Amino acid sequence: MRRRPRVGVVGGGAWGLALARAAARAESDVALFSRRNGGPIPGVRSVSSLADVAQSAELVLLAVPSNVARSVSRTLGDDLTGAHLVIHGIRGLIENDLVTVSDVVRQETPVKRVGAIGGPVLERELSAGLPSVMVVGSRYPEVCEALADGLGSATLRVYPSPDLKGVEWGSALTACLAIAVGYAIESGSGPGLIAAFITRAIAEASRFVQAAGGEERTLLGPPGYGDLLASIAQEDRPEVQLGRALARGESIATALHAAGQRIEAVELVPRLVAWAERRAVRAAVFNALAGLLRDGRRGGDLIGELVTRPASD
Amino acid sequence: MAGMKLRGEDAPIFGFNAARADIVDTVVNRVCASARDPLALLSDAAYHEIKRLSAVRGKETSAELARWRALARTAPQLSSQEQAEKLRKLALMHAWDVAGNFDLRVYALATRLLPPLLAGLLNPKSLATSDALMHIVDARGISGSIGIEGPIDVIKSLCSRGTVIYVPTHLSNMDSIVFGYTLWQSGLPPATYGAGKNLFTNKILSFFMHNLGAYRVDRRITHTLYKDVLKAYSSVMIERGYHSLFFPGGTRSRSGGVERKLKLGLMGTGVEAFARTVRAGRPQRVFFVPATINYLLTLEAETLIDDFLQEEGKARYIIEDDESTRIARVTAFSHKLLGLEGSVEIRFCDPLDPFGNSVDAQGRSYDARGREVDPASYVRNRDGEAVVDPARDAQYTRELAEIVCEAYARHTVVMPTHLVAAAAFAHLRRKHPGQDLFNLLRIKGDVPVPKRDLEADVQRLRDRASELARLGRLELVSTIERASGAAMLMMAMRAFAGYHTRPVLSDNGGEITLADPRLLLYYQNRLAAHALGFDPRAVRALVTRGSERPAAGMEISA
Repeated sequence: MRRRPRVGVVGGGAWGLALARAAARAESDVALFSRRNGGPIPGVRSVSSLADVAQSAELVLLAVPSNVARSVSRTLGDDLTGAHLVIHGIRGLIENDLVTVSDVVRQETPVKRVGAIGGPVLERELSAGLPSVMVVGSRYPEVCEALADGLGSATLRVYPSPDLKGVEWGSALTACLAIAVGYAIESGSGPGLIAAFITRAIAEASRFVQAAGGEERTLLGPPGYGDLLASIAQEDRPEVQLGRALARGESIATALHAAGQRIEAVELVPRLVAWAERRAVRAAVFNALAGLLRDGRRGGDLIGELVTRPASD
Repeated sequence: MAGMKLRGEDAPIFGFNAARADIVDTVVNRVCASARDPLALLSDAAYHEIKRLSAVRGKETSAELARWRALARTAPQLSSQEQAEKLRKLALMHAWDVAGNFDLRVYALATRLLPPLLAGLLNPKSLATSDALMHIVDARGISGSIGIEGPIDVIKSLCSRGTVIYVPTHLSNMDSIVFGYTLWQSGLPPATYGAGKNLFTNKILSFFMHNLGAYRVDRRITHTLYKDVLKAYSSVMIERGYHSLFFPGGTRSRSGGVERKLKLGLMGTGVEAFARTVRAGRPQRVFFVPATINYLLTLEAETLIDDFLQEEGKARYIIEDDESTRIARVTAFSHKLLGLEGSVEIRFCDPLDPFGNSVDAQGRSYDARGREVDPASYVRNRDGEAVVDPARDAQYTRELAEIVCEAYARHTVVMPTHLVAAAAFAHLRRKHPGQDLFNLLRIKGDVPVPKRDLEADVQRLRDRASELARLGRLELVSTIERASGAAMLMMAMRAFAGYHTRPVLSDNGGEITLADPRLLLYYQNRLAAHALGFDPRAVRALVTRGSERPAAGMEISA
């Protein structure tokens, strides 16, 4: 068996901690950099700077909010070399041009071998060591192998995908669509209608992915369908909670306050709609979602309308 | 600067002949060592060669065909050792066939004769028997017609610090000769390059090509073993410091457009060569220099655009009967080339390392944020060992190719023929709204356009091009920087006049007649990637995408 890579995790949020725990469970050497004061995690060594992460790891996992991905990458880039492998677990697309986080890493650091985590894995289940599946997208097979070696264990299966762009866009898009799933559940939509909505939403998301240069079929796997199907049962997923609150008629501000954390999808949806318009990508679901986030519930059955709208619309 | 005396250490090709046998041995050893299944390689070679030779039956091929058939029949019965020996013999034969030659005396002669020979080199058989030679020799030197710009001092410095690989755009069979002349004119050492074997069939041309460091690439041979030999040969040459020239578009641009996608095979040997030398503990730096070759007129425009317009995928990869084989066309083209100001513009772009990082004159690599990086770090695995990893290196090369294409776009030089063709073609499309490309090209009868309208359109287009140039997204040939629409139209008309078999545009007093939509399409395609001209590729992409059936269960459209 190949030697497990030394893993460095950047970000002490729930997702970063879950990744660090998964690496420790796989018996990898793990260093964690966090700005938060958290308690010790068995098998995880805390380090005090990004430079320490770069020094002590060959595989660096980025798990920070998307709005600081560029600044963190730039600082980290001072200490990374071309030999490092960087994988991010950030659901987001940056700035108005919707730059992927892997492109940000390539712009801000000397690293070329990059990847992204996607799929229906949940931080709660990952942290608890419950059986989980994740996808790592990278055009470099050795990056996928490194994540499988560094985190893979009896309870975590890591599937490789060469479609980095598809995985990154898929993760960002399904996070947005999970809001609509929460909305549909709270509105009392039946399983058939929700399934029809998810099918239609994934078809639309796959058009986005294709227009962005990824592969449509990636959305048919764990980073797309898998992720969105899981959201049906994810009561505590912030996006789902937000959608439910909106269906109850709460304002966006109240709903966000109740979620208790920044939901990146809220800022991403209008940028996705503008991007789609510039590229003539049909985006009825995302347009409706943008209206929902802008105006709140306007009455009527949003999901039913979307699904039963004429196909030519 | 032209023809500066070069030192041997800057131009390893000067010592090539002494090293040739050793290079061939290294290539063969490498190919054989990496052959995990010799029988599979032998069978693959026999299959492809039988298929190829069966299609071109003739006396000279029948013996060869019989040999391949015998090999296909007997190879499975041979012992492993015998199969390995067969493979070695075959690899050795191909390696010697590929290997070039460099004769310093021929180089000295060629650099002296190159300007007048430029046109004649493409058809030396006719050159030797026709009086065209005198016309060509009488023509003034081509140096005044070729504009060369770029970081030449940096490239010169890199030539003494590692292997430089030139990766220019490719429009014409003139390119390797024009580019070779450009290197000499710029005081840069000659580069070895792969030339199609069809160019070696002529004895005189073959003599020059073979003695100027070109190696033979027979594009008719498609089996894996041959490709392995070619790649290994290229890699070994780079490792040993022989500066190289690849046309990464793979073949001449059929559309006339700037390459937006590259073939990665030979380009990939740059990373492989670097990784091998790092692994061996004697790193040989490798530098890629993208370049654009821009013509006012293209010698083979008519054949190439016709080929482009054939259904994609059916286009001929190798064209052996185009304008470059016809002496009258070559002569007419050369007269045009030599007689017009700014008719060829060469742009060397900033050098890159094999990983797409920028490089300074000392050969140091820098990331996108300007931090110095060690290129060897990119070929190390997670244990810190330098390794050759084909999957990784293919991806590095894919990313390098994207950066090279961006450089092509930024250093595309707009010529008056491109602008006028774009304005004229846009007029044609406006006059026939709703017509698809092929209907437009089938329009018979000349289409008139008021001269003043066309001049105004050309000027507007130039102003848009100037704005892109100001943003660093492309370049303009100096002759059109401040020219009026009328002047630019006149430059293009002068260039077109009398060269192509059919008139492209003709002047009927107050009207310009758009006489050949195909050639207008060809020349305007040079601006398509910059959205200054109609983009047939974008149209085709839309059509292709629209015709795709969605996956089962995904038919619902929004």
